[in-house]
Amino acid sequence: MAVAQETQATGAWERQDLLNGCQAVAQGVRLADVDVIAAYPIRPYTEVMDALSKIIADGQLDAEYIIADSEHSQFEIAKHAASVGARAFAGSSGTGWMYGMEALVVTATDRLPPLFLVGNRALDDPGAFGVEHNDAMAVRDMGWLLCWATTAQEALEHVLIGYRVAEDARVLMPMALAMDGAFLTHSQHMVQVPSREAVAKFLPRFNLGKRVMHPDNPVSIAPQVNEDWVMELRRQNWEAARRAKPVIAEVYQEFNKIFGERYSHPYFSPFMTDDAEIVLLGLGAVAMPARTAVRRLRDQGQKVGYVNLRWFRPFPTTELRELLGRFKGVGIIDRDCAHGSPDSGGILFHDVRSCVYPLNKRPVMSNFIGGLGGRDISIEDCIKMFDLTRQAADKGSEEVAVTWIGLRE
Amino acid sequence: MIKRVEVNYRGIFQKNLGKYIGSDIVMIATRMGKVAFSNGRYSDSPERNGIPCKYFAFVSPDLAEEELEAECGAKLDIDEADVSVVLDDTMVKGVEPWGWHGVRSINEKVREKGCLLVVTRHDPAQLLQFVGKKPYPYRLATLEGDASLAGLWVFKDDLTRERVLGAIAAVDPGIIAIDAVEGYLRDKGADGARRAAAAREAYEATLRNIHIVNPDQGIDWPHPLPVLPKWHEFEDLGIVVPAVKRSFEIGPRGQSRNDAFKRGTTKTHRPIVRFDLCIKCTLCWLDCPDACFDPTDDGLYDVNYEVCVGCHKCADVCPVPECIVMVDELKATDDKSPWQRYKKDPVEYTAWAEKMKGKERLRYPHVTGTGMEVSEGKEVPLKVAKR
Repeated sequence: MAVAQETQATGAWERQDLLNGCQAVAQGVRLADVDVIAAYPIRPYTEVMDALSKIIADGQLDAEYIIADSEHSQFEIAKHAASVGARAFAGSSGTGWMYGMEALVVTATDRLPPLFLVGNRALDDPGAFGVEHNDAMAVRDMGWLLCWATTAQEALEHVLIGYRVAEDARVLMPMALAMDGAFLTHSQHMVQVPSREAVAKFLPRFNLGKRVMHPDNPVSIAPQVNEDWVMELRRQNWEAARRAKPVIAEVYQEFNKIFGERYSHPYFSPFMTDDAEIVLLGLGAVAMPARTAVRRLRDQGQKVGYVNLRWFRPFPTTELRELLGRFKGVGIIDRDCAHGSPDSGGILFHDVRSCVYPLNKRPVMSNFIGGLGGRDISIEDCIKMFDLTRQAADKGSEEVAVTWIGLRE
Repeated sequence: MIKRVEVNYRGIFQKNLGKYIGSDIVMIATRMGKVAFSNGRYSDSPERNGIPCKYFAFVSPDLAEEELEAECGAKLDIDEADVSVVLDDTMVKGVEPWGWHGVRSINEKVREKGCLLVVTRHDPAQLLQFVGKKPYPYRLATLEGDASLAGLWVFKDDLTRERVLGAIAAVDPGIIAIDAVEGYLRDKGADGARRAAAAREAYEATLRNIHIVNPDQGIDWPHPLPVLPKWHEFEDLGIVVPAVKRSFEIGPRGQSRNDAFKRGTTKTHRPIVRFDLCIKCTLCWLDCPDACFDPTDDGLYDVNYEVCVGCHKCADVCPVPECIVMVDELKATDDKSPWQRYKKDPVEYTAWAEKMKGKERLRYPHVTGTGMEVSEGKEVPLKVAKR
């Protein structure tokens, strides 16, 4: 907040509003001057489309707003809009995200860059509304950019950052911006809203270049191919995902220049890790109780820290490897399930462990599964996870313990 | 330091009111230089008509926003409240927002020396005959007024919002101060002065209506709280659970119902039935969405108030004037079978029913947001069946 106030003088920030996470995202979409919005309701994402329809009705945004007949259709609409060079937005949650999966996959393979919000929600069954990350995680291997916001403020800012990365000619990948249902989507905070002028400086108009579908530029997208083409196309996807990483770093640098030094690191935010021995790492809103636990344990003299991972795709392999290699023990918090996976650990855990494997001196890895279906992860839970991670590190065991946190057992 | 406010409201009918009060607290506290945020209890949504729900506001004069968020925002309900606001006084009879939650006392979260602030026309003694005892003293404040009920897409702008803000400032100025409340409301456009005056009036009135509740006041809470099983304690395939059996017997409590979620705390009104006027047309039994009516062996329909949500449907479909009439839920002190009482003594029952009905006939046209409509009813003498 202090940073925002300092830069207000430069005109980067226009006002302070009381917004929940959904409304903050809608403000980001307004400022990104999106051309086409496709919408289909599902909680917790619904409030984003509600807020956008109001913004349009109030004359604050000139955009096509199309209510689709399903999640599948809305993602197709947004994809097609992107193919004619429109900046497009849509979103969903949980099982709705999964119902649109076919459209989500082709959006990535067609190398189109709309931004979709995922208000994280547990997958059915049983029907549940609370947060779980398996929904967004489903696109992790499909050629998507996948990023988690930690606060409503970050969510607004990452709509702008997301479009800038996704639409970069070196990238052209769709962007999934994930935020925890309830804890982020439905909590109201004072949010700094940037000015249109500053956003215009940061986010150029979307230009699809020669690929744009237009009567003056007739193109055919995604023709049927045989075995003589697919591998080369996949390699293009592969390269784009690799190229995205340095682009992200550039974009954050540019963002900091215009809006003040808001992000010390593009891919993740290390907190009190400089001299830390034991750290936890997680995605999303769990950062808040985790960082509070760090402060409390530091007061007791414990050398602990927290790494808030924002970008899951592309995965910041070398940077995270370099950082985590300094610690004795690392505990990964998974708000997801990966049933039957190696060690029965979570999705995040597997990627982080794979990332640190080449290190000569690896930290002892622990894995925690918690907060599923919206159950809260408290400060006390985080302190417990620090204790267990330290115990595992002291033992130096190679055997990975997966611990369920907050389970009735 | 953290101040926690919970606003207990009726789902759908007070959704906007609850949220506005939470938002206003954040805006006012921010103007006072404090850190604040607000959210609703996520599990309450999607809300059903009248279900007890909560909105929260958290305020701190000294914590960083992230610390406040970590303490309060990462939780789905609060452990304790400095102020529990009750926007509809019938919720003092207990609140059961969803299944396997149990009926809980409205003051469950009120901390020691905290305050239960009720919008009501009843006095504290009347309210305390329904509220559970606490092991420590706390305060009960009343703000005179009716439950401001409207609809999901409408808001009844009857100054309840402003008055509650004034009352909160009265019971705990550490959350928001009355000067800041007035300043905030005055800046709210053309009629800001009127809104600020309403808050000030409520503030002054509430200061005169704060009562200490000692540990011996209130009732021994009659509703058990369910203990949820551990993951290995229920059936291997926990996704499949026993359904409510479709069984049906003549007589009171004759229908099968979901014992894990009776929903009776949803109602603000309950139907009072004049069995002597009943023509046995079956419509109440047929149209009740919650199967509250049990056919009796003499062809009447008994009411199970534990599962009645007070939807007014029976009173709407009943073709006999004055036979089924909705009355304020706070008038009733128990959920016992009215039919059994009628069978025991028709004269006594009918006199009691007429007293319950009173003179006013109540209706809430929720969709319009115009609030409660009151018309005059008429007293009908006991009809003696012809032999």
